[in-house]
Amino acid sequence: MHRFLQLLTAASKEFRLILRDRQALVILFVMPVIFVAILSLALRDAFSQHAGVRFSILVVDHDGRLIGNKLTEAFRRDQHFQIESADKPLPGEDTLATMIRDGRYRFALVIPAHATDQARRRANEQVRAGGPSRGPTAPVSVQLLADPGVRADHRSLVLAFTNGALRAIEAELIGERIAELARSPLGTPAVSASGLAAPQLFRELNDEPESSDSGRAPVPTAVQQNAPAWTLLAMFFLAIPLSVTFIQERAQGSLLRLQSMPVSAWILFGGKILPYFVVNQLQLILILGFGVWGLPLLGGDRLTLGDAPEAIALMGVSASLAAISFALLIATLARTPEQATTLSATTVLVLAALGGILVPKIVMPPAMQQIALYSPFSWGLDGFLDIFIRGGGIREVLAESGQLLAFAAACFTLAILRYRWRLRQR
Amino acid sequence: MQNPIIETSGLVKVYRGMEHPALDQLSLQIPTGAFFGLLGPNGAGKSTLISILSGLLSPTQGSVRVAGSDVQDDPQAVKRCLGLVPQDLALYPTLSARENLNFFGRMQGLRGPRLRERVERCLEMARLEGLADRRAETFSGGLKRRLNLVIGLIHDPQLLILDEPTVGIDPQSRHFIHESLRTLHAGGMTLIYTTHYMEEAEQLCDDIAIIDQGRILARGTVPDLLHQYRGGAIEAHVGSDISAALDNALRQLPGVRAAEFAPRQFLLHSDDPDTTLDALLGLLRQKQVPLASLSLGAMNLEQVFLSLTGTRLRD
Repeated sequence: MHRFLQLLTAASKEFRLILRDRQALVILFVMPVIFVAILSLALRDAFSQHAGVRFSILVVDHDGRLIGNKLTEAFRRDQHFQIESADKPLPGEDTLATMIRDGRYRFALVIPAHATDQARRRANEQVRAGGPSRGPTAPVSVQLLADPGVRADHRSLVLAFTNGALRAIEAELIGERIAELARSPLGTPAVSASGLAAPQLFRELNDEPESSDSGRAPVPTAVQQNAPAWTLLAMFFLAIPLSVTFIQERAQGSLLRLQSMPVSAWILFGGKILPYFVVNQLQLILILGFGVWGLPLLGGDRLTLGDAPEAIALMGVSASLAAISFALLIATLARTPEQATTLSATTVLVLAALGGILVPKIVMPPAMQQIALYSPFSWGLDGFLDIFIRGGGIREVLAESGQLLAFAAACFTLAILRYRWRLRQR
Repeated sequence: MQNPIIETSGLVKVYRGMEHPALDQLSLQIPTGAFFGLLGPNGAGKSTLISILSGLLSPTQGSVRVAGSDVQDDPQAVKRCLGLVPQDLALYPTLSARENLNFFGRMQGLRGPRLRERVERCLEMARLEGLADRRAETFSGGLKRRLNLVIGLIHDPQLLILDEPTVGIDPQSRHFIHESLRTLHAGGMTLIYTTHYMEEAEQLCDDIAIIDQGRILARGTVPDLLHQYRGGAIEAHVGSDISAALDNALRQLPGVRAAEFAPRQFLLHSDDPDTTLDALLGLLRQKQVPLASLSLGAMNLEQVFLSLTGTRLRD
């Protein structure tokens, strides 16, 4: 009971210090909202620019012949695509879904078995019929799987390119068939290649590419990238006020005074964690609330939160513990408030940039995308996007939440070790 | 010694990477109710000793008991009975005086009427009643020092450790703090006081230890120390400027181990003052230097301190 009262006293003191530090309040609450507003409105149109974008696409070729080769070649020739062919045994639908959900690939192109034979048969039927024919052979169904988190315009771009490549293959196959018939002793074909409108060897890929999840996921917008991104950045930016107050306590001697009292290190750390945890949750509510209700009033898109508030809460708690533990580590590593401010700002910004907060991961080169997987911001952002865009719940964010909690545990342990080492060195 | 509140035995503290120990077999007993002065140059080991007594640092070797409890075995019991007034202003500038006292009081385990009573008593003691609800950051240096002092007293400790509590304040505030400490001492509280102001220690402390290189060099009351180390110092004022030749001749006098000079004044530290004195008078006569005044033996605590710790500048 005595320790619990000490913890409450320490936490309530910290609350007062936070509330009286106007600069910290601006950094923690006002700046993120302003950033979300500005960037969501500014990037609303800019989100459609494709310059510099490179999409990673996994080709799962069950056909292994002409169609697969031609499609792969078409993608390879274009600088916007990074193509990787799936190794054998080829992944099944579930594995593919997992690979896309985990962010390893944004797109997967699935070419069905015997696609070349089927397309040739259909071409034959079309040419013989002299135009579009239902025929006994169905059009080849090439599938394009996409991460629902990919922006709509990027998705449309890949879709259009795939349809274009299929049309080119189609024209080639029809041309081949006409040439064959022309050479055959049966006589000249009834139509020319140019005269054969819409031969439909392939089923047209529409604007709703299949995904591993339900097709009801909302189309991602700038606010859906920016709101969770800046919430995470705001959460981690509390490293500045937290580490500065900790170092000031040390420099002013009040920490020394507390250490000379019957107060354990856990109470001292707990007294910091508790109020900043509440601050983090308020940041989350404020920024998401602004995305839902505030931004539409300014003419921006409305943030959609998905259907799993419990998953949002889990991600909020995990991200907060990660941010606070990181801040405590900075506080124990830095020697002066200036050092703490610089160290906090630079490390947070570097981790944020790597984690896709400042620049979406999709526009990063593949090597950078791999590095991004090690940033806590990436885990946090993926977790929130799983909920907001992919319709995920607790189960879908368990991995990201676990990564954040493991990061929190590692930082907290290092902070405690460093704190005790400092005590011994005094 | 009867009923010591502090007992250290063979205390050694070695910091990693340091060549010399910060404390070197230091044994000390401080009686309950003493006003104990701990004097020493920078790096002498004072802060290390205070940190160990307060349970902030573990000794490399040796034992420490404070108010009957072993600091290593039961640090919480030791921490409950002592108050620390650090040299820095160990308070929260954006909290008011009352909020600071309330916070530290609660952390010491005070609650309810007892806490309120102690907060009011401390505000009264520091004469901060009228300023109790003003933020500490708006206070003058003297007011902050007074608040810093009474925060250490919030739980009415048996033992108060003060680390240079009057640094950088005006004479009125210093006088006020001295008076407050005398009152606390008269009330039976044990005080350990470190300072670089020798006259403060002379005025306040009834028991003084001079420490250097982790060892106690001298211990006793002010009259004891002045008597014990009287022989070392010979101070003289002369009627003409001291030439380089005279400066050199004075350093060469028998028994002299250190000398300090001003234009018409010098201080010799001698291991054999009688012999040095005879030779000095002969030298002054020979050089025809008129003697204005001459004193033998330490005049004050500072001279004792310098004769024991030397005049070499410390880091």
